[in-house]
Amino acid sequence: MLHRVIDSTAARTAAVYPDRPERVLLVDDNATNLQVLYQTLSGGGYRLSVARNGRQALEIAQKSEPALILLDIMMPGIDGFEICRRLKQDPRTRDSAVIFLSALDDTDNKVKGMQLGAVDYIAKPFDPNEVIARVETHLKIQRLEAQLARRNRQLEADNQHILAAMNEGIFGLDIDGTVVFVNPAAVRMTGCSEQDLLGKPLHALGLFGDSGVLETAYPLYSCLKERRICHNEDSELVRMDGTRFAVEYNCSPMFEDRTPSGAVVVFKDISERKQAERRLQRAYTELEKAHRELRDAHMRLIQAAKLESVGRLAAGVAHEVKNPLAVIQLGVDFLAGIESNDSVVSEVIRDMEEAVERADSVVKGLLDFSRESTLTLRPGDINQVIDHALHLVDHELTRHNIRLEKQLGEGIGTIDLDRNKLQQVFINVFMNAIQAMGREGVLTVKSRMERIDKPDRAGLDGEHFSVGEPVVQVEVLDTGCGIEDESMVFDPFYTTKPTGQGTGLGLSVTRKIIDLHKGMIDIRNRKEGGVAVRITLKMG
Amino acid sequence: MTRMLKRSLEATGNYEVQALNHGARALEVCRTFMPDLVLLDVMMPDMDGGEVAAALSDDSELNAVKIVFLTAIVTKDEVPPTGADISGRTFLAKPVKTADLVACIEAQLHS
Repeated sequence: MLHRVIDSTAARTAAVYPDRPERVLLVDDNATNLQVLYQTLSGGGYRLSVARNGRQALEIAQKSEPALILLDIMMPGIDGFEICRRLKQDPRTRDSAVIFLSALDDTDNKVKGMQLGAVDYIAKPFDPNEVIARVETHLKIQRLEAQLARRNRQLEADNQHILAAMNEGIFGLDIDGTVVFVNPAAVRMTGCSEQDLLGKPLHALGLFGDSGVLETAYPLYSCLKERRICHNEDSELVRMDGTRFAVEYNCSPMFEDRTPSGAVVVFKDISERKQAERRLQRAYTELEKAHRELRDAHMRLIQAAKLESVGRLAAGVAHEVKNPLAVIQLGVDFLAGIESNDSVVSEVIRDMEEAVERADSVVKGLLDFSRESTLTLRPGDINQVIDHALHLVDHELTRHNIRLEKQLGEGIGTIDLDRNKLQQVFINVFMNAIQAMGREGVLTVKSRMERIDKPDRAGLDGEHFSVGEPVVQVEVLDTGCGIEDESMVFDPFYTTKPTGQGTGLGLSVTRKIIDLHKGMIDIRNRKEGGVAVRITLKMG
Repeated sequence: MTRMLKRSLEATGNYEVQALNHGARALEVCRTFMPDLVLLDVMMPDMDGGEVAAALSDDSELNAVKIVFLTAIVTKDEVPPTGADISGRTFLAKPVKTADLVACIEAQLHS
């Protein structure tokens, strides 16, 4: 309603004095009195009418609806009191202000006049200035009242207009939480009729899904009883037909003269926003996943580059080390051939021999690692390769008192493989398991044919396998000490073995061979202790 | 390396050994020494083992001399401890145990 406040001055004047000049009716049976009154008020800018008796006065009043009536009390026929009573009963004349004129200047008459609806009383003989002042005052009051009434009507109309135009639903509640007002949006959104809603306690309607009763837990309770504004961004509205949608609502207390008189609930359909939020959340989750995959790919790239450079370095170092190693080997053999009775000397020579062997195996591992870049793939039986590798570690199993559980699947048939290199893989894996178990344990070796059932089993980047693809799966389980850091196992020189028992190169070579087979190797600790190695190879 | 080889082989009492550290002088030395067998490294500073072997094979007086490559470029995965035939040549992987070396030499001399 701001637009009305900033109206032009001319318009405001028109609003304040809409009926100027105002009509004033003068009623007196005495012609002289009437004459004096007429003269007193003429020139004041009023439209004046006169009546000599009650009947005439009522007729004129009904016809011209004067703003003000100056009414003599003592008249033959219908007296002033009776005229006033009739005027106030008639809707056409009810709003005319009545001022009594009388020589009866006593309190009883004044009170009686006021009780009949008069606004003032002027005693005869009257002073013209007093008459003008009182008339002006009452006309002004009359004007302001009329203006106020118009304003109120306009405000009411504006309110109705705004409430009808709002997309938000509104409930007006009295102090007990009873619905006393609803707007069209509230009716539309709840699917109820106005009659369904009005006069019922809001909590009894069970519209808001977050709580159904007006008890301390009910959010509106605090608004009504504790006079606090409450806000719920994540509520639900249950329609008459039971369907639900997401809403947010605000509940504000209302006051009349600082006394709580009720509350206004404004609620808004936010189902579209909720959907957008869910879409956003999904997009975010996907983005996060993509980011994770990218990071993984990046890590693998770094790993690959690291392995590559280590490989190149290793080849160079290995070659350079072999020559001095050859000299030491021959020297040790030479010294061992010299007859000596000194037991210390032969012990030293034996230690040196072992040292040379160990150095040689490190070098060999480095070379294997740097060289495994090509395969000779031929159709072969994976179970045979496993059997052969097991045969080669047979005495180690016996020596460490390890029981072998072999569950090799039948009917796997032949797959393309590099027999020698895969054999090296299995020997590496078996030896790791044996060394991790130490003095006793169970080595389980399983093979079977199966299908890739989940995307995460298809390799992180999905480049090795597709979902549904048949594969050969080999599992090697031990009951040993486990791995401290699962992410480190494929790093060259990472080893859990005591110094002197392993080079740390075995698994990096192993993975390289599996990669060349376009397969996957996964190594992780088992819940029940020990390590599970899972090798997945292509069928085709 | 050569000095250690010479010492190890002479210690068996079965061989007369001459050691050389350069491929380029191999042919010249062979002409005066007339060995039954030549142990050759593949990677040498001036002339590689392959070239020396080719030169020996081309020489009418020396083409019957047995040749064994003792080298770091092969691994024990590729050749057994006492050597193996790769494309018509005998290879031994470094480092080699004296016993394996002798076994290989003996096998060559009596083939």
